Amino acid sequence: MPKLKLSGVSKAYGATVALKRGDLEIDGGEVHVLIGSNGSGKSTLCKIVAGSVRPDAGEILLDDQPVTVSGPQAARALGIGIFYQELSLAAHRTVAENISLPDLPMKAGIFVDREALASRAARYIALFDGVTGDGFSADATVETLRADQRQLVEIMKALAAETPVLIFDEPTSALDRAQVDRFFDILRDLKAKGRSIVFISHRMDEIFAIGDRVTVIRDGETVGTRRIADIDPAGVVRLMVGEQDELAPPASAPPAANHTGAGSVLGVKDLSGRGFANMNFEVARGEILGFGGLHGQGQSSVLRAIFGATPPAQGAITLNGKPFAASSPREAIRNGCAYVSGDRTRDGVVHGRPILENVTPIHYLRDRLFLARPSALRDKALPALQALHTKFATLSHPINSLSGGNQQKVVIARWLIDRPDVLLLDDPTKGIDLSAKADLFALVRKLAEEGVGIVLYSSEDAELLNNADRILVFNGGQVTRELTGTERTRYNLYQAAYEAA
Amino acid sequence: MASAVANPRPASSGIKRLFERFPFLPALMILAVLLALNGLYQPRSVSFIGMTGLVKTYLALIMLAIAQTYVVFAGDIDLSAGAIVSLVNVVIVVLMEQWGGSGLSVMAALGVGLAVGLACGIVNGIVVAALRLQAIVATFATSIFFTGLALYVLPVAGTPAPAAFWRTYGGRFFEIPFVLYAVVVLAMVIYVLARTRLATQLLAIGDDSQAAFQSGLPVTAIRIRGYALCGIFAALAAFCITGDTASGDPLVGGKMTLFSVAAVVLGGSALSGGFGTVVGSLIGALIIGLINSLVFFVGTPSEWQNLVQGLAILVALMAGVLVGRRARA
Repeated sequence: MPKLKLSGVSKAYGATVALKRGDLEIDGGEVHVLIGSNGSGKSTLCKIVAGSVRPDAGEILLDDQPVTVSGPQAARALGIGIFYQELSLAAHRTVAENISLPDLPMKAGIFVDREALASRAARYIALFDGVTGDGFSADATVETLRADQRQLVEIMKALAAETPVLIFDEPTSALDRAQVDRFFDILRDLKAKGRSIVFISHRMDEIFAIGDRVTVIRDGETVGTRRIADIDPAGVVRLMVGEQDELAPPASAPPAANHTGAGSVLGVKDLSGRGFANMNFEVARGEILGFGGLHGQGQSSVLRAIFGATPPAQGAITLNGKPFAASSPREAIRNGCAYVSGDRTRDGVVHGRPILENVTPIHYLRDRLFLARPSALRDKALPALQALHTKFATLSHPINSLSGGNQQKVVIARWLIDRPDVLLLDDPTKGIDLSAKADLFALVRKLAEEGVGIVLYSSEDAELLNNADRILVFNGGQVTRELTGTERTRYNLYQAAYEAA
Repeated sequence: MASAVANPRPASSGIKRLFERFPFLPALMILAVLLALNGLYQPRSVSFIGMTGLVKTYLALIMLAIAQTYVVFAGDIDLSAGAIVSLVNVVIVVLMEQWGGSGLSVMAALGVGLAVGLACGIVNGIVVAALRLQAIVATFATSIFFTGLALYVLPVAGTPAPAAFWRTYGGRFFEIPFVLYAVVVLAMVIYVLARTRLATQLLAIGDDSQAAFQSGLPVTAIRIRGYALCGIFAALAAFCITGDTASGDPLVGGKMTLFSVAAVVLGGSALSGGFGTVVGSLIGALIIGLINSLVFFVGTPSEWQNLVQGLAILVALMAGVLVGRRARA
């Protein structure tokens, strides 16, 4: 008897169908992987189970009893807990308060029981003892934490609900390897206790490391469920993609770069700043320079410093041979520097505004545009969006109506109207599905062929190895190794990344 | 492991931690400066009697700033707070007069006053949280509505409050002024309220209401409770102003609304919600009071007083921002 069974669940927002027909069956004591490209309806399915989205149709059976999940509170009462992909944390509250937020322990009817709060927090923090990193404590406010640490807090919050059904919607996207390993140990432990766990991830290795069964969703419909033991990664991808056979370019070596010293478009000399030191590198025209290493070793900080998003650092930067020290992103953009962040909610998307407005801000800035005719802008925006195979209804739909992957495509498209000289990619594929990644990297290579200098930081090793001409491995805010040519192997990358650790 | 080496961040100094823990410290420093200036121009103003007078005059604003703080916690705002003060003021004055002005009738009238404040707060909460209207416009509308009710209850200002009431407010017990007892009780109430679950929940909603909803918090109910608490403190503000002015005036609170918002901001709370302290708002209200009295003591000609007051509040706001930023940097 399945613990939780969904059949024919659907949800539409106006004309956009988020989930056409969701079917899912989870047993007790299993880790059930949910996989599908972005916008296929995984998150919607999870939110329906967790009560934060109300389904239009369909049936939910919990322990063979039909139930109506009327809200997040009701879901908890039914024994369903969830980790939200976009996190559900209060930034100014402490870690301990966030862990217990849904159910603050009470004293005398109205007071928060601080002791119970602290001891509950200590219990869940102890689970991640040793991998939480610097500055993590029960009384640290969430806003002072790094992205991976916040994700850990959201995991602890989900675990603290102690519900029989636990849903994890991309809980590992910001975590480093040690944190993921610890999280998987915890999941195995919960599985042994008979809990039912739904796990979503875009990382194939994680899926095969932890999953018992996998359910594939494509375009809002459940395609099928397989036992992990009976399928291989290629099989999963085939299920996800459907009829189209090849989607990602084969993991062959990237085209040999034509980087000669003369064509240097971006030069960095002795650059130091918060979180990194002694950076020295050059990016040639048409070269893709990769930043590798474990998560949070200063890769993003370097990119943001070049783009002028963080306070000026020491050292010298040259752009097209001229000294360049952007004091603000505005200045960097005017000089032909582009930056795409993986944290699109913070750094990319203009929330609640139409897609058109989200494609054109850079154009406004670079052309010093004061008045614009929407029809003229539309002609410029459409080719940029089509170059990335962006799925959208009309340009005037708000950006929030798109899935995460398509939102990121819109953010990238805004740099394509006026071609930059340097493109800084800061983990651009975070939370993006495989086919969107393929589209993105095809475009990145095309840009490189056209002479754009590209710096790519990716937390996924495969993306670096498949796309970068050269890889600088970061460790503790320094470049510890440069991998070129045939040295670019997973083994060398791991070795350099883990060296000092 | 690796991540421990990874993020070299400057060790947070003791001062920084202090400012994070007590975000109202900049306000406290401004308060100290203003006290010193007041003492410089009018030494008697910082005496025991002078301070008692200050508290007596500004206790109403302090109460209203506290009221405002609880809705600001959740990222809301209450532009009807002053109108609630007016309404409660005229209701209690009229009731005290009709019921004879004895001690018992005064107490009964105060009970009705609290109920009126609570009811107004709940109306605001329903309008804003349950009907999902914009807080700033919706409470502006209810402020007109509440003022209308106040004008119906007492069309013309001037009905005196019974002597039993204002003599108590301005009097002394065991040689200690009544308002100081009130301040002590208030401090205890603030201390208790800060430890309630409601305060934490309001702040969590102010941080990110969608996240709070997804966490399973009853967001609408909590926001309504915030407004209800605001209504109660607005009623207390009305008691103070009635004790201070000893009369009923259907428009007495109107001007106080935005002063209460200013006090909240001076106290270091974020108007966007999620961050702040009630103590800060209390200090903010005192800052406004001290600025007003300083303007007077310095001998500003009456036609210039508003201008100087406004400038001084701007300066205090800037100083608070600068001090806070410097300390947290």
